[in-house]
Amino acid sequence: MDRALSWLLGGRKPAASHLLLAPASLWLIFFLIIPAGGLVLLSFAKTGPYGAIVWEFGFQNYRRAFDTKYLPVFARTLAFAGGTTALCLVLGYPLAYYLTFRAGRWRNALLVGLMVPFWSSCLVAYYSWMIVLGKEGLLNTALIRAGFLSAPIGFLYTPFAILLGLVYFYLPFTVLPLYASLEKVPRSVIEAAYDLGAGRWTAFFKVTLPLSLPGVVAGCVLTFIPCLGDFLTVEILGGPRYYLLGNLISNQFMMAQDWPFGSALTSILLAGLVGGLWLYQRWEKA
Amino acid sequence: MPEPISRRGFLKAAILAPLMPALLAACRRAGDQRVVNFFNWSNYIGKDTLPEFTRRTGIAVRYDLFADEDEMFTKLRAGARGYDLIVVGDYLIPRFKSLNLIDPVPAGTLKNLGNLAPRFRRPIYDPEETTVPYLWGTTGIAYNKKKLKKAPTSWWDLWDEKYKDRVSMLDNVRDCISVAMQLLGIPQTTRDPEDFRRIRELLVRQKPLVKQYSSSSYLNSLVAGEIDLAMTWSGDLFQTARENPDLDYVLPKEGTYMWVDCMAILRGARHRADTLRLIDYLLEPDVAAGIANSMRYATPNLAADPLVDQSLRRDPRVYPTPGVAKRLQLHHVLDSEQSELWSQTWADVKVA
Amino acid sequence: MSAKRRGMGLYCAGLFSFLYLPLVVMFVFSFNDARRNVVWRGFTLKWYKALFHNTELMSAMLTSLELAATAAAIAAVLGMLASYAMVKHKPFRGRGAYDALLNVPLMMPEVALGVGVLTFLVRAGYELDFMALACSHALICLPYTVAAVRARLISLQESSLEDAAMDLGATEWQAFAKVTLPLAMPAIFSGALLSFTVSFQDFVTSFFVAGIGIVTMPIKVYSMMKFGVTPEINALSVCLLLATFLLIGLNAAFAVRPDESSRH
Repeated sequence: MDRALSWLLGGRKPAASHLLLAPASLWLIFFLIIPAGGLVLLSFAKTGPYGAIVWEFGFQNYRRAFDTKYLPVFARTLAFAGGTTALCLVLGYPLAYYLTFRAGRWRNALLVGLMVPFWSSCLVAYYSWMIVLGKEGLLNTALIRAGFLSAPIGFLYTPFAILLGLVYFYLPFTVLPLYASLEKVPRSVIEAAYDLGAGRWTAFFKVTLPLSLPGVVAGCVLTFIPCLGDFLTVEILGGPRYYLLGNLISNQFMMAQDWPFGSALTSILLAGLVGGLWLYQRWEKA
Repeated sequence: MPEPISRRGFLKAAILAPLMPALLAACRRAGDQRVVNFFNWSNYIGKDTLPEFTRRTGIAVRYDLFADEDEMFTKLRAGARGYDLIVVGDYLIPRFKSLNLIDPVPAGTLKNLGNLAPRFRRPIYDPEETTVPYLWGTTGIAYNKKKLKKAPTSWWDLWDEKYKDRVSMLDNVRDCISVAMQLLGIPQTTRDPEDFRRIRELLVRQKPLVKQYSSSSYLNSLVAGEIDLAMTWSGDLFQTARENPDLDYVLPKEGTYMWVDCMAILRGARHRADTLRLIDYLLEPDVAAGIANSMRYATPNLAADPLVDQSLRRDPRVYPTPGVAKRLQLHHVLDSEQSELWSQTWADVKVA
Repeated sequence: MSAKRRGMGLYCAGLFSFLYLPLVVMFVFSFNDARRNVVWRGFTLKWYKALFHNTELMSAMLTSLELAATAAAIAAVLGMLASYAMVKHKPFRGRGAYDALLNVPLMMPEVALGVGVLTFLVRAGYELDFMALACSHALICLPYTVAAVRARLISLQESSLEDAAMDLGATEWQAFAKVTLPLAMPAIFSGALLSFTVSFQDFVTSFFVAGIGIVTMPIKVYSMMKFGVTPEINALSVCLLLATFLLIGLNAAFAVRPDESSRH
């Protein structure tokens, strides 16, 4: 038993690696590769009467996707996802740092506390933000009472509201991976840097930050990528002028019932992301 | 010593927890009761309607939920089965039929079908009566009496610069395109690309004024005073107006459309006989009136009329006066080509 | 030094209040005497009373909790094994492919994934049940577990404790069970937390893959949008949160953190 397990864990043979990865692969095959493969096939089909699918091979859906009218949607989506990721990182890093090095015995409680707000319904959270940000909402009322404003500001259905919603929901997904990797930065190394006369900031930039980079990458991936496909935030907090790729795709599957076109958009998104990741890996190795 | 104990307890809980649903499901199944699977919006029925049905017949109703019709259609189209009875809007029925998703209600099996008002028999969207009307309403304009100096009277008010950022439109192809057609005097039968270009232009012109395209969350914005003017479905607004008495509803002077939510049996329903019994029950005058009274929607059930609350029955916004009612039209049944033109136009408006 | 430390503490408190502000609003508005919960209309306790008689809502909550726990557990096991092979093993053919694939669930727009999985399960003749839903949630959760565990394993690699154990004569299995697994535990835990949250919130995939009679909290709540999301939902969320805080508090008060001693 011990030997078999050791063989499996030692991983000197590729077979052992594949065996360890087998359960995850099974899931990927059944719940991702086959369904996504189906969608890729579908993206080459035609849309028939009432959205019925006509199996005639062609690239017309891809040609449509690169129509200039969709360019602003792609650009806007990248901007919102990028902005959200950057904000989450800047806001979240100090928090992860604090949790790791300063929080002491409350660390675990705070970690769970970070996720707990999201154990309510996300819709209720959005509605609560509407209560706060509305024209007659808490924030405007408070500002007017305090004399800072004479007329209410329309916070809702603006890029600000979308960014706020996205940052609110993705912040924990940035912080937790950051924490997981900061947690393992050995104190001795940081102390050694101090002993060698490094200041706080030097120690941070030369030692702590580089050692936490895997966490930074993981956090960015977990924020940026899901942001690209997000559509509920815009649907609820965003206005009509901030239509994102996620909305475009979900509308093809639901309202327009144009599944082949929706599949083509999905395939393009996947191809772009997988390609980007691949390039990143090559760059990382080089 | 509290620590290892609490841990073991935690472990035990962690192991037991995943087993719970299996146990619960087993308990549920043990009943082995007759059941009908009903797919509908949350709360789109009277409070006691279904428990009463179960009490009378011993047939349980499993009530599953969707948030939006298009979503429901997508799910069924992808092949989800097992629902017996679904509630579906009239405009979706041709699509359901073209994909062969509806099992027709066999003629002569419903003894209460005669309770329906004549105008709801053999409607244009379903001349063979494969489905049964459930509730109906109109599309109109909701507005906040306190915030607007003058009540809106026309669809053009939704295009008025004065109301910039205070307007919402339904996120729905059928309603938005129909209104644009009405305003431009274009018949719904058109296939002329030029007509659709003008429709698109009109809707895109309105876009800078619009705060939200939404079919449900705009109701919250209305109550909260975020928007003051909205294209809306009658019943939804009346329910919402209970929360904010300043909200009112008008049928625009250009005339408007009526829509009918229908009950349909899903293809492959496993409990056909019991489902038919449920439909028949929902057609009983007192039951139909009960649903109308709690939903504040109009019922197509003529026999139920005397049992509908007088305040509701006399409300011209719910039951339009005969003069107005005559001008109410059902949506034109689009063929697949038109349907494609309509959705394409709407999709372009959303992207613009 | 201590002023700076306090500054950072204040900053974090600020960030936490940002995260908790909607919860405070939600709590206050669970006492709101209105059906459409957007404007304050007066104090009432009736929603809490209604909640305890609302079996539909209670069972939706239970379903969601079970679902999230099952999905998080599956994802934790899959993710731990996969990350271990990716990080600890000698580079092998196809590692890059796995690496990319493990991130793809994040990239799939939810509607596309939901429609795709549903179509596949139906074609395969699988009756949609709780397990089908839990398994598709596990897939969505997998990247989160992998991300958390991997980052940790990579950092562990650099400290080479496992190698040290093996130099002292431990077998690979012993080194794993005695050194790596315990040290990876916090990451597995945080990965599971992420998974639980992702699954608990998910509406789109749940809606498509849920079979007959499976109603989760998000499905219930979204379906209420048309006719008003009542403060009952707030009341339910408040109860859930209070229970969670109670558990966290008890845990923080009683537990001696096992890694406290080993770390400093």
